Amino acid sequence: MDVDELRDKAELLASLSDEQLGVLTPVVGEVTYPASEFLFREDQTAEEFFIVEKGLVSLELITPGIEPMVIVSLGPSELVGISWMFPPYKWKWTARAIKDSQLLVFDAVGVRAQCEEDPELELVVLQMVADQAVKRLHSTRVQLMDLYESR
Amino acid sequence: MLPRPYRVVEVHPEAADTVTLSLVAAHGDGESSFEPGQFTMLYVLGVGEVPIGLSGDPGQGRVRQHTVRRVGAVTNALCDLEVDSEIGVRGPFGTSWPTGQAEEKDILIIAGGIGLAPLRPAVFDILANRDRFGSASVLYGVGTPQDLLFEEDLHSWRGRFDIEVEVTVDRSTRPWRGDVGVVTTLLPRVSFDPSKTIALVCGPEIMMKVVARELSALGVSPEDIFVSIERNMKCAIGFCGHCQFGADFICLDGPVISYASVAARLGVPEL
Repeated sequence: MDVDELRDKAELLASLSDEQLGVLTPVVGEVTYPASEFLFREDQTAEEFFIVEKGLVSLELITPGIEPMVIVSLGPSELVGISWMFPPYKWKWTARAIKDSQLLVFDAVGVRAQCEEDPELELVVLQMVADQAVKRLHSTRVQLMDLYESR
Repeated sequence: MLPRPYRVVEVHPEAADTVTLSLVAAHGDGESSFEPGQFTMLYVLGVGEVPIGLSGDPGQGRVRQHTVRRVGAVTNALCDLEVDSEIGVRGPFGTSWPTGQAEEKDILIIAGGIGLAPLRPAVFDILANRDRFGSASVLYGVGTPQDLLFEEDLHSWRGRFDIEVEVTVDRSTRPWRGDVGVVTTLLPRVSFDPSKTIALVCGPEIMMKVVARELSALGVSPEDIFVSIERNMKCAIGFCGHCQFGADFICLDGPVISYASVAARLGVPEL
């Protein structure tokens, strides 16, 4: 994948320069997951992370004997995976394709290595991850308010 | 102030605690026309009277629909009505969704929980006059999949090529295979130009406040965001003052009102 392709496919990386995108192109690819297939499971090592291009992915909590609890669904242009950026680099949740999905897949180890070499790249990537995390936090707070209950 | 007798011709269960009543004038002389967003006062003889929004197709002639959720004595009595029961009806009252103001603009319909009921007439109106508007989208959020209302309509609207429909739930278990998350997370999924969009929002006040703030942050002018405010009503014609909301009487100046005019008041706990 070249820089222009990556820029077209990943709106989330809009703030990266062409040079920075060029550093990431060797560690990014495309992958498809049919509905119901797992992208990763909780407690696994976070070796990859994803940006949804098409489809829908759920983050779930799996508990034996109970139906999986879907916490949130993630659609186009959303980041799937934040734990890859922070030690101990283990997934906290399970990710599963709700619909047939096409995603950009990033080699997390490779991206972290590039960030260690290039502090400016690290800053931009961290800002992107932080932005997604803040949005998720706001949404989760609103979800907790149980908006539709009569008061 | 005098209720007219209306007869129940259909009772359709929507969810565990919600039904849609279809009513016709008992003696053939009742008012049937209404504007999307308006409400009537429904009177169950011997129990009481409550304001309930009209939820049916305004172009459908003599049948009026109201969607009622069980929250108290009168609404319980309404939900327990059977076909051929008679109730009293006053109205319609109140302001309507400003679809006329939305011509040639993009239109967003954002509903939470039972808030889809007063917006449903607006959707019918828009679809009946589709060429007058830009893009049209319905975003609907509920607590769980079991709380979804008007599922047949949602499927029907979703099957069209000229309106986008997105639905999400706050909490899900299998077999739900749709979105999970608050309704505002659906906004990036639909196409609209914030600078020329009219948004019609209805649901619990907390939900309307959260949605209106998000729309404003995206660039939709608060003057172009409309919400539907509820307050306790008794007379519905501006005499008793029970529905006062700051400087407005919801029965006369609402229920549909621009977010710009109520934004500050939605932060006042005493109101």
